[in-house]
Amino acid sequence: MKFAYYPGCSAKSTCKELNIAMRKVAVALNLELTELESASCTGAREIRAIDPVGFLALNVRILALAERDDLPLMTVCNTCTLNLIDAQATFAEDPCLARQVNARLAEEGLEYKGTTRVTHFLWVLFEDIGAERLRDLVVNPLTGMSVAAFYGCHITRPPARYGFIDSRNNRSLEQLSELLGCKPVDYTGRTECCGFHTAAHDERIAIKLTGQHIESAKTNGADAMVTPCPLCHTVLDSFQKEIETSVGKRLDMPVLHLPQLVGLALGMSHEELNLDKHIVSTEAIRSHETH
Amino acid sequence: MNIPVDARSIGKIENADGLLARNSRLMPGDPIRVRVQRYDAGETGARYFEDFVVPYDTAMRVLDALNYIAENFATDLAYRWLCGTKMCGTCAVRMNGREVLACWEAVEPDMTIEPLRNLPVVRDLVVDRRPYEERVVSFEPWLERPSAYPGFPEPLSHRDIKDASKALDCISCMSCFSACPVIGLGNLTDFAGPAPLVQLAQTALDPRNNPAKVARALEHAGIFNCLSCYKCEEVCPAKIPIVTRVIEPLKAKTAELVPHAARHSLAFRAIVAARGRIDPSELVLRVQGPKVLLQVRRALRLLLRGKINPIRTIFRKRTAAAKAAARLLEKMRPAS
Repeated sequence: MKFAYYPGCSAKSTCKELNIAMRKVAVALNLELTELESASCTGAREIRAIDPVGFLALNVRILALAERDDLPLMTVCNTCTLNLIDAQATFAEDPCLARQVNARLAEEGLEYKGTTRVTHFLWVLFEDIGAERLRDLVVNPLTGMSVAAFYGCHITRPPARYGFIDSRNNRSLEQLSELLGCKPVDYTGRTECCGFHTAAHDERIAIKLTGQHIESAKTNGADAMVTPCPLCHTVLDSFQKEIETSVGKRLDMPVLHLPQLVGLALGMSHEELNLDKHIVSTEAIRSHETH
Repeated sequence: MNIPVDARSIGKIENADGLLARNSRLMPGDPIRVRVQRYDAGETGARYFEDFVVPYDTAMRVLDALNYIAENFATDLAYRWLCGTKMCGTCAVRMNGREVLACWEAVEPDMTIEPLRNLPVVRDLVVDRRPYEERVVSFEPWLERPSAYPGFPEPLSHRDIKDASKALDCISCMSCFSACPVIGLGNLTDFAGPAPLVQLAQTALDPRNNPAKVARALEHAGIFNCLSCYKCEEVCPAKIPIVTRVIEPLKAKTAELVPHAARHSLAFRAIVAARGRIDPSELVLRVQGPKVLLQVRRALRLLLRGKINPIRTIFRKRTAAAKAAARLLEKMRPAS
């Protein structure tokens, strides 16, 4: 299976380990990833809000790059995913704006027709690889590992995109964890917000909110947390020391990127998956590494 | 042949996340367990839960269950409602941890009913709306023309007024205010919260309004402390896309009228226009200035793990992504 691969800014900078793990896991899953090297940022929440036309242009360009190669577009970041899906919808709903954007893209010989399928690695696992095949590929079932799934917002809300009346009803990460042999943990933070999008100017919200989520995961017996979003990972992992200061106790909660959890079950080592590149040590779950 | 899987909606069926599924779990006469939070601010004593069993009747709503309890078991139960038809916005409560309009939500077999969060409780399910009302009033939420009335019909297009008119669908039920995680942290920030901002949007996004007055309101709205988590949109019974049609247009308005309040977003845009991608270190440096020194320990941790790269921050590369982003962001400014 071939995909145009859009790692996003985070997986190319503060979460490099995600990009590295994703590429290794893709090989094991027989996913052929062609990175869109010239793709820009999707505009996160910032450009999206203050410059909606620029936002549309950035995203449509990424969609057009994938369309040119006639490939579905796979991301590993929730916010990028929602941005691309939203831009795709605006492009279809507002032909006037669509023409305006295409006129700009024509300057570099691109034109978007509106056909790119946008997907996230989490969805590829179910839709393109399939639960049964994935189960067959698991050589190192993560039996006994209690995993708290942290969805992040932009892969389960808004309801207009994902269709949930109550986003807490999403069970994709829990189903995946079960396929890999883990025991999913039920806790209050599953579909809550990590606070990343205000952290660059005021990290107090992120620290307070995510402190509650990690504490809840720990209280309910999680050995580790897993997230499909590098932005959530940044708060859960890179901010965990500050979170510990805020809650006044040690948390020591390893936080895995989604491909890293899959990679462990596929028999890869901590080092191969760059699990040693996190801020919070993942040594506590090394017993689940293949022997 | 494999049956196509929709991975985006895994969990919908097993958790009855659909209108039909939600409404077909009970048969007339089935017992519904209802736990209602009781409390009286005028008396001493903590909040507690009282359990009731209510017989299900066809198409029963949360409000019908509350009425049944008030008529049969607890005549002193305090709860608000007026129209019963999703118009007045007074009956919002939390049912099993989610904000719902009591008059519109189907009962569940096992329900815990609590008052809305983030507002003081007066008694049982009745909250004090004054913090919201005071915030709305502080925004001067009326139209004030800076120029003379041009006569009817006003030269307004659908596009000019689309976001303000969407905000007018609000029934002020406070569900979004209760669901907002930032408001849930108390007075940590100056964020006004979704409900007051929807009220503000009704006039602030109206192009006929006085920009000086709109700027005064936006300066104190704390709007860039919105996390874009969409929890407000999820619970809005009027189905207002609060993040995309209220908060984001208000952020754009703030960037235009009060740019210093939008420093972070403007810096983000400038970095993407220059680099094609975001450089987190440059963003934090530009937004926080000297305050960044307080984060030296984290910076060192990130550096040791190779998560930040000062060389790349200092020496920008003119990549293909950078050239494209510069072109698209420079030439495609919003038509404001």
